Amino acid sequence: MSDRSCRRIGVLILSVALINMGTPAVGHAAVIGTQTYLEATQRDADLSTVTAALDRAEVRDRLVAMGVDPARIEARLNTLTDSELRDLSTQFEQLPAGGDILAVIGVVFVILIILELVGVIDIFKKT
Amino acid sequence: MCSQARWTSAATIVALVAAIQGCAGRGPVIEPHLDAAAPRQIELEATPFFPQREYQCGPAALATVLAASGVAVTPDDLTARVYIPERRGSLQPEMIAATRGYDRLAVVLGSSLDVVLREVSAGNPVLVLQNLGVASLPLWHYAVVVGFDSSSDALILRSGEDDRKRISAHRFASSWSLARNWAVVVVRPDTIPVTATPDAFVAAAAGLEAAHRSEAALTAYRVARDRWPGDVTALLGIGNISYAAHRLPEAEDAYRAVLAVAEHNAVARNNLAQVLLDKGEPDAALSEILRARADLSDSRLAPMLATTESDIRRALATPAPERPDKRAGNK
Repeated sequence: MSDRSCRRIGVLILSVALINMGTPAVGHAAVIGTQTYLEATQRDADLSTVTAALDRAEVRDRLVAMGVDPARIEARLNTLTDSELRDLSTQFEQLPAGGDILAVIGVVFVILIILELVGVIDIFKKT
Repeated sequence: MCSQARWTSAATIVALVAAIQGCAGRGPVIEPHLDAAAPRQIELEATPFFPQREYQCGPAALATVLAASGVAVTPDDLTARVYIPERRGSLQPEMIAATRGYDRLAVVLGSSLDVVLREVSAGNPVLVLQNLGVASLPLWHYAVVVGFDSSSDALILRSGEDDRKRISAHRFASSWSLARNWAVVVVRPDTIPVTATPDAFVAAAAGLEAAHRSEAALTAYRVARDRWPGDVTALLGIGNISYAAHRLPEAEDAYRAVLAVAEHNAVARNNLAQVLLDKGEPDAALSEILRARADLSDSRLAPMLATTESDIRRALATPAPERPDKRAGNK
């Protein structure tokens, strides 16, 4: 956790430094990107590049912690949009991970679980 | 007394069995979702099948829809892109993002079953997320819908180790709604899925642009513009990709096309000002950026407009002879 905090502070300092260094001196301002435009249509989206860099660092840390090969992580992060990075960063634990355990533990076991649950809770109530 | 107790327990068993069978007897599920002219039974038999390895239905299902769209790919190629070992599964944002690396569009569909049936009828296998467990004990699973049969009220899936899984429409609808009706089709960038909304299609194109797949994104924006001529995002995307490729006249045309349909669009006007500046027309650029700032309703974008304005004012303060060759490399 303290590693992550250090990382966040580091990224923050670096981002601010880059932003301060980069734009005025060269004057090569880019146009406003399509993704930024789309995000601006969402009222609560944070459009700052600093936040985007933090989200990216957070997702990188989580993927490493979850056993993803560090050598492949940049390629994965590069295909994600800022809003997807934000979703992954803020809801990583809540997002469903499709992985089907049926094939491994067997249909019978699942039926047993379901039958057990029938007696305990109302499983057919949809949420 | 005794017979009443027996009757009650018999009724309970019947009710329980009915419940476990997925509330049979509610009438057909598929038929009400079909138009009069739609086929009643279809199966996309040519859709490839990749049996999943343990837990890896994400890579297997994704390979199925990617391969169906013409990409030579196997689940093993995708494991490193979407599989998360400790979660023993794959997350939806990464499933979508992985398609971009192959210059494909992953378009998120609407949440009604008729959308899925229409896409399958049009030849597009549909990637879906299901919850095969219950709400409180989820078993998340990716599968691909490749067919349906209205007469037996069943869907046909590529699912797990099963190359042709028949599932009752009741059970499918229930497992799919427990996964918030998530459905995606994967298409070439020049193809608009039959049920895609302009917003969903253009958002998918913007995802390709964000992943630096510029040519594929440009193709998608252009077909979107041709189908939905007033779509602001498609036009803006064409402008931005053209600008990044230093094609200033095309970029200018695209930004002006946005302003023709949405004259108060401050983003397009900011970008137009930038193009004019790059073309060596700082006076025209200044009048555009001032108008953009007046039109801007979203304060989060104000710093970006301020940067453009200060660049323009700096150019205006620079002696004129220096201007022309400043951007010589751009055009």
